[in-house]
Amino acid sequence: METSSEDVRIAKDLVQVFIKAKKTLKLYPDNNPIYAKTLDNIHAMFVDFFNYKNELTLKIKQNDIFFGSEQVYHNPGKDNNLALFFFKDGLRELSFKKGLSKEELENFLKIIALDFDREAVDDDIVTLLWEKDFKSIKYLADEAFLLEEEDYEIKALTEIKNKAPDVDMILKAYTDSFSAKDIRDISTADLTDRDIQLLINEKTKDIADKTGKLLQILFEMLSLAENTTELEDVIHAFNAIILYAIKYRDFSVFVNIIKKTKEAAENPSTPDNIKHHLKLLLSIVNSEEIIKQVGGMLDSEEKTDENILDEYLGLLGKNAVTGFISVLGTQESIHGRKKIINILIRLGKTDISVFAAGLKDPRWYVVRNIIYILSQIGDNKAVEYLLPMAKHTDAKVRKELANAFGDFKNPASIRILKDYLNDADAMVRKAAVKALSGMGVETVKGIIIAAITEKNFSDRSLDEKREFFQALSCWNNTDTVAFLVNLLQKKSFLNLLQDAESKACAAYALGLLGNKDALPALYKLRDSKNSLLRDYVSAAIKKIEYGS
Amino acid sequence: MAAKEDISITRISKDIINQLAVVIRNAQIHAPNNVAVLTAVDKFTSMINPLLSDSRETFTLELLGEFFYVNDMRISYPMEYLLNFAFLISEFKKRKMGGMKITGPLNSEDMQIFLKAFISSALSYDPFKTLSDGILDIKQLDVTSPQKIKEDKADIGEESNIRKQVKKTYFNAVSYTKGFMNKLSSGETINIKKAKRIVESMVDLILHEEELLLGMTAIKNYDEYTYHHSVNVSILSVAFGQRLGLSRNALTELGLVALFHDTGKVEVPPETLNKPSELNENDWVVMKKHPFWGAKTILKLKGLDNISLRSAIVAFEHHLNYDMSGYPKVSPPFEPDFFSKIVSLADGYDAMTSARVYLRIPTAPNDAISAMVKGAGTQYDPVLVKFFATMVGALPVGSLVLLDTKEFGIVFKSNTVLSNRPIVLILVDSSGNKIKGLMADLAEKDNNGKYLRTPIKTLDPNKYNIDLAEYLLFEGI
Repeated sequence: METSSEDVRIAKDLVQVFIKAKKTLKLYPDNNPIYAKTLDNIHAMFVDFFNYKNELTLKIKQNDIFFGSEQVYHNPGKDNNLALFFFKDGLRELSFKKGLSKEELENFLKIIALDFDREAVDDDIVTLLWEKDFKSIKYLADEAFLLEEEDYEIKALTEIKNKAPDVDMILKAYTDSFSAKDIRDISTADLTDRDIQLLINEKTKDIADKTGKLLQILFEMLSLAENTTELEDVIHAFNAIILYAIKYRDFSVFVNIIKKTKEAAENPSTPDNIKHHLKLLLSIVNSEEIIKQVGGMLDSEEKTDENILDEYLGLLGKNAVTGFISVLGTQESIHGRKKIINILIRLGKTDISVFAAGLKDPRWYVVRNIIYILSQIGDNKAVEYLLPMAKHTDAKVRKELANAFGDFKNPASIRILKDYLNDADAMVRKAAVKALSGMGVETVKGIIIAAITEKNFSDRSLDEKREFFQALSCWNNTDTVAFLVNLLQKKSFLNLLQDAESKACAAYALGLLGNKDALPALYKLRDSKNSLLRDYVSAAIKKIEYGS
Repeated sequence: MAAKEDISITRISKDIINQLAVVIRNAQIHAPNNVAVLTAVDKFTSMINPLLSDSRETFTLELLGEFFYVNDMRISYPMEYLLNFAFLISEFKKRKMGGMKITGPLNSEDMQIFLKAFISSALSYDPFKTLSDGILDIKQLDVTSPQKIKEDKADIGEESNIRKQVKKTYFNAVSYTKGFMNKLSSGETINIKKAKRIVESMVDLILHEEELLLGMTAIKNYDEYTYHHSVNVSILSVAFGQRLGLSRNALTELGLVALFHDTGKVEVPPETLNKPSELNENDWVVMKKHPFWGAKTILKLKGLDNISLRSAIVAFEHHLNYDMSGYPKVSPPFEPDFFSKIVSLADGYDAMTSARVYLRIPTAPNDAISAMVKGAGTQYDPVLVKFFATMVGALPVGSLVLLDTKEFGIVFKSNTVLSNRPIVLILVDSSGNKIKGLMADLAEKDNNGKYLRTPIKTLDPNKYNIDLAEYLLFEGI
């Protein structure tokens, strides 16, 4: 092929843009403008070249790439060596032909962008090119390295020659052939449309997923195993197919395998030694390796069939909790986390002690989620696990604890919540007062009133104060109204502003209570000079008078 | 024409070729003005004319070997078109027609002229001339002879290179299989990537030079039976899969699982595997475990993937018969996998026609096919066995044949359309003298349309110490 200096320049440029494209395609998704621009540019370069040439062929050496006799790339190093990248799998020539479409170019670049050292790629570059069957990209590969034995072909042919009979009996065969049998027609032309249809049916039946088929074989192999080693090998294969199903196949396939294995393990006709192995095998569903895969699936955008998920949960034992707690900390999506939490709520019902270890997890968000799970399970025994957590250093955990203690309504919970009313973090204090109010217990009312009447209550923010008064409004009786009215009427000589905030919150609580007995006290304050107090009082009056 | 357009033409071409066969079939039964013919013609022109609306565009249909090419692209076809494709190939061959070139839209009248010439040419002494003369009035249609294609596409040097490539690929595969089995025995790591590369090469050769690679499987006098057998089964399975319309990637998968089908034999003690006498009952008990061991061994390889999964299935099932006899014994309902049925046929054929340590004289190829056809419905799937027999042919490569010319030879290359008219390497001339290097195509006719040579008798090469390798491996190059 004749090559001009211009051709060589283009070939050099193309090799350089391949190197850049390898990086770009690795970094950016295909909907990214940089990705699209890279592809457009390279394609445009080819289109320009093909305006006056039909083919661009690159010859690959270990450290060099040649266009014709011109070296267009050289890299003596091992890292980022494009020539070596092609050369090591036996690729020796790459040709791009006129008519190269952008689609083919993109698929080619995607192949060379693969990181064969790091990614789990089952094929080498030649196989990947072969599978794509490009129309306008051709290659030559050296297959010498495929040989297990050097000069095998020569040896085999020599051997055949040496084995050849000294004297063949061609002429004897010739003579005998006259009395030999007539050629029988083996009827090779009687294929009918029905045969074709039967074959099409057979091909249609040949579904891609063969896990069900292999499972059937494994069950046969169980009964064919003649000794413990063989039996263990078959069980090992069961293990492998379960892992394969969860990694590469539909979740339902995986669940189906487990179900069938369980059925076999529980079938009275299954021999005891096989039953024993199958039961051991089934413990794999509770393993962290499997649960990690399930977690990944739930974290993805793929829709999960709730019925199959339900079936799956029915197959799990309480040992699975540890795995799910571990997965809980790695879920990236909110929906994924929610699903794991729901699974743990379901799994933990029979024995909440399995969560004890999880509460010691160093990740605050895992601990917080476990506290939530325990509160949702609602077993009072959870309090004994939660109490030692009360002084957890993370406020978000303490806030979750406050919510949980509110659900348990026992003296120990009340004691902690009372302490939380003076927690260093406002978020915890507010959660505690809310949790206390939710208990509806009379003693709790006293705790809230005591807090409100404490000297330092006025130091709390308006927002927090309102939370306390709102909590108090949960006890709708004359005592509460009397306490609030009394507070409205109380005179203060100290911090007028903060005093007005407390009164405003009291008015707010009275509004919530809706008791008309409070109206006289409120009327007196509706013209207050303090605008905050005035607004709250007006709103309360309106609420009591009109119910809104 | 731009590449993108080429691709779309390739996509529609299988439908156009199929419809052309429908048109010709109808025209052979009905008068040209019959509604069935006219409807078929209308459909054909409505498919092809849009591709030829631009005066620069051309539709070139060529027959090379057993495959159609449109605008230089090989056209694969779905299974439902198989009969029509085979019919059209045979009709082209009857007329010594290599192809047709259409340079512009065709109307109904053009097609009537073409059909008339096409039908009448079948009875002519020189069918190709009759056909080309008959269509002179159709300016946008021309027919080409196969000779022209041969000149254009393949010269002797290229044929020789291809043969070298075929041998290289074959022995690479055997070498790999030997290494694979030895590594399995010694517990070493197996490189499946290499196996893929080897099978891909075999698939390429099957797609383009099917007969040559199939010919390699006919040479049976190797010492290392197990390795050659695995490769032969792989080649036969891929060739068979190709006839069944499997995709290129599915063929690779099939070739790989076939290559690994006898993996379990690594666990059979060598004294049983290589026993010089016939196997006794105890030996058979051990031998019959190899499907179990094969599946087990494959499943123990590092990690499962689709290939190992299918390989394990085939390794387990390849001795299971259609009627569930065979081995290992399984509980019903159980139906062997599609690939297992294919490999079982290839395995059965190669085993029957190969000499083993304990079976010095194997079955003759045509007898093996007869036996397999007899086993349809019991040992083998009745439909698949028909397809397999069609592929291997009535006179498989390696068969010895006596011709009506009193010439005697060995079948060198099969003819997939006219299965009893292969290419024969003549070993003895009509005077009874040994000769070398004469290759005779039994499909060739004289000027009167009569076949030049017809096979009349066949006999078993194994009974006469005939060294097939000498003729098939060395003679051909």
